[in-house]
Amino acid sequence: MLVAGLNYANSTALFLTFLLTGFTLVSMHQCHRNLLGAQLVAATAQPTFAHRSGTLSLTFGNPAAAARFRIAAAVGDEPVAPTDLPPHGRGRIDLPVGAPRRGVVQIDRLHLVTTHPFGLFRTWTWVHAPIEMLVYPHPNGSLPMPTHYGNTAGARSLTNTGADEWLGLRPFRDGDSPRQVDWKAYAREAPLLVKEYSAAGAELRMFDFGALANLPLEAKLEQLARWVVDAEGGGERYGLKLPNGYIKPDRGPEHRHRCLAALAMFGLEDVQRGENPAT
Amino acid sequence: MAKIQRPEGSRRGLIWATGAFGAGVLLNVDRVPYWVPIAALVFVVWRLMAASQLRRLPGVIIRSVLALLLVAGVLVRFHTLNGLSAGTALLILMGAVKLLETRAQRDQFIVVAVTVFLLLAACLDRQGLVHAPLYLLHAWLCCVALAVVAYAPTAVSAPIPAFDDRAAMLLAGRSLLFALPLAVMLFVFFPRLPGAFWAIPRSDEALTGLGDSMSPGSISELTTSYDVAFRAHFEGPPPPPQERYWRGPVLHEFDGYTWKRTARSFASVEPLKYLGPEYRYRISLEPSARHWWFSLDTATGSPEPKVYFTYDYQLISKEPVKEGTHYSLVSYTSTRAMQPLAPLARRYDTDLYGNRNPKSRALAVKLRSGVTSDSAYVRTVLELFRTGGFQYTLTPPRLGFDSVDDFLFDTRLGFCGHYASAFVLMMRAAGVPARVVTGYLGGEWNSIGSYFIVRQSDAHSWAEVWLDGRGWTRVDPTAVVAPERLRRGILDILPNAVSARARFVWSQPWLGALLQRWDALNTAWNDRVIKFNFADQLHLLQQLGIKSPRAEQLGWAFGAGLVGWMLWIAWQVGRGAPRSRPDKLARAYIALCKKLGRAGVTRESHQGPLAFAGELSKYRPDLPDDVHSLVLRYARLRYGRTERESYLAEVRQFEQEVSRLALRARASETPHR
Repeated sequence: MLVAGLNYANSTALFLTFLLTGFTLVSMHQCHRNLLGAQLVAATAQPTFAHRSGTLSLTFGNPAAAARFRIAAAVGDEPVAPTDLPPHGRGRIDLPVGAPRRGVVQIDRLHLVTTHPFGLFRTWTWVHAPIEMLVYPHPNGSLPMPTHYGNTAGARSLTNTGADEWLGLRPFRDGDSPRQVDWKAYAREAPLLVKEYSAAGAELRMFDFGALANLPLEAKLEQLARWVVDAEGGGERYGLKLPNGYIKPDRGPEHRHRCLAALAMFGLEDVQRGENPAT
Repeated sequence: MAKIQRPEGSRRGLIWATGAFGAGVLLNVDRVPYWVPIAALVFVVWRLMAASQLRRLPGVIIRSVLALLLVAGVLVRFHTLNGLSAGTALLILMGAVKLLETRAQRDQFIVVAVTVFLLLAACLDRQGLVHAPLYLLHAWLCCVALAVVAYAPTAVSAPIPAFDDRAAMLLAGRSLLFALPLAVMLFVFFPRLPGAFWAIPRSDEALTGLGDSMSPGSISELTTSYDVAFRAHFEGPPPPPQERYWRGPVLHEFDGYTWKRTARSFASVEPLKYLGPEYRYRISLEPSARHWWFSLDTATGSPEPKVYFTYDYQLISKEPVKEGTHYSLVSYTSTRAMQPLAPLARRYDTDLYGNRNPKSRALAVKLRSGVTSDSAYVRTVLELFRTGGFQYTLTPPRLGFDSVDDFLFDTRLGFCGHYASAFVLMMRAAGVPARVVTGYLGGEWNSIGSYFIVRQSDAHSWAEVWLDGRGWTRVDPTAVVAPERLRRGILDILPNAVSARARFVWSQPWLGALLQRWDALNTAWNDRVIKFNFADQLHLLQQLGIKSPRAEQLGWAFGAGLVGWMLWIAWQVGRGAPRSRPDKLARAYIALCKKLGRAGVTRESHQGPLAFAGELSKYRPDLPDDVHSLVLRYARLRYGRTERESYLAEVRQFEQEVSRLALRARASETPHR
């Protein structure tokens, strides 16, 4: 444009060129200002199961009186899911984070990017925030669940036992067996619900690492995770016996997390232990 | 790694980009063949219908075929893809085809970019004062479209303060305003070129203005255009009407039918003795694609090295006048030669080139023999024109090869060219050196801007004869036949000479006055802004005190300006950025502490509210109880747990109570420790 304007000694074209040059420079400042001062208020990563994608929830705060727009975040590569921050407000980004194997996924730094307002410039920054995401073992394995306290024989699967009492429906949670999902309800456009049964009687189940002697380590952990998930889904009380520890039988989401976390971290104690995966 | 998907463009982005593109087409609509905007319109409608699910977008084969057809259409029409008109047509068509495959955000960006180039094309073509606001508006439209397109990809829904159209419009406007100072600075100081890198011939433009030949006999109707040829600003008083002869090409060679300029330039400029008043003036020449620069009668020299000053006082530019040009001249309307005419020039300007027009030549010889001097002979011939039943018309009959014979003895109807041609032939036939001068006569005086507007309809031709002892002397035979032509424009004597529009304007005095105002404004715009060039830049720098601007000086000044602007922008843009500005509650607390400070209690910066409250109750029991409880309330509001709704109300109440609190000043005393 400049060349054309100069060549034809065309004042209008030159002025247009200069105006757009100025505009571009202004937009550079605006782009910078759009990211400058945005605060990462919270970054939480809910535990997930291996082979699935976890979610890293980032909450951004905007301390300024001017809104910010199109702030995107990424772990490493291409940014996704931009969010807008109202004045003095907050915005949230849910980033998918891959969980290839059990243990802890360490996220050292986040990539924040914005191209607002005109897409001519790209302001970016790294946020160095050590975030850990706990990855439970993939619930897998087809061995029958031990029935009684300490008893490793006695095969009884939850779903094909008519003796269990119907408890009701609850929302789907990660790790629930697809066999327990109320697909009929789902077909009626209800949310994904899971049928809950209470085990007949207040049975205690103790899942013993040592009882699975003839499986490789990871398979053992996956089988134990399967059992924990199924037992919690069945509303049963269960405990976990590992070579390096013992978790008393109990039930509830916190208990489930404790058991699965123990399985996730089994044998990885030399890695820095994240007591609370949320930072 | 997952395949990166190109972000989808938003519907809103599509509508804005398409709208800006459509406006860009409108800006160029009258410079491209009529089918180009129609095709663009069809594609725009098609794309918008597709966006509303009314129609499907064409597949890749149809798009390719369409693109090829349209390029072929441009080629057939222009025989080239180069040049401004062909390029613009191509840009419009390709942008329109691009619309049909616009899905991703990136495509929308491309459409906006094409639109900016359409704007540039419009700027290159027309730079009038009327267009400037349109261009600015369109630039703004492009920026808004850019903002909306850039905002597009939405993965997370429902942002509370959505970046809506209004926000985009405001932001784009603000950004352009911020850019304005830099643009002005760059415009004034950015180095211009004295010439061009290359020239693209603007072949599609018809040549206007005076030609380099004149054949009065071949013209049966003189089309008079109302276009402006040039404007002339005089420093002192303007010349009287009978002296307003604007000199253009001088024609020497006559074959009996057509007068031509000479290709030869065998003589140098003879020194002249200037008589009468001196006229200093500036000419703003409109583009004409001709080489002529005009001057008032006899100029004293060439204004620029690239313009020749010929021996017959023409100004001839090496380059055709492709753009508006302005230059300053000094002229005299009355001169005396200081030396006799060179024999070669005498022979040249008495040459009759063959034996055409025998009757006229015989008449000339007869008339010459009846008088004693050349000047008496001139008067005799003029008398012949006056009394011989000649009439002035712009629609003369066609003439044969002996055009002067036909005119003098038969038709006796003609315009300036006929009279000048006949007169010069009569002179030459009697041995008096003579030549035809073409140019303009008169011009419209614009009293608002104090300048003459000389239009193509003011074109004129007259004669110059060499009189011994005086030199070249202007004789206008037309003035004898139609003396009013001198005083008034061609409109007055021949109202049918020009277009209906011009006639209408001329018939309404108020409209004429309005148009004069408009022309004055436009001229100022043209002179100050549009024709701002290398020379003006130098002039401006010299006025600013830089006598011989050197590159590095300019560079430093320029850099300083740029840095200053950048700082200003950073400050302006950053104003919305966070500052450690305390919130409402903290502001109220600070106000409270200030009041206490005036009453003699200063809170040390390390003291929290609780510690401060403790100190207050301990050392200053004289203060009202409110003060103590207010400080504690701040601590509770700041750190305690409250519902959001009641919190806001409580903060407001806290604020009010602080402002109502009245303390007696006891500035002399500091708190005890």
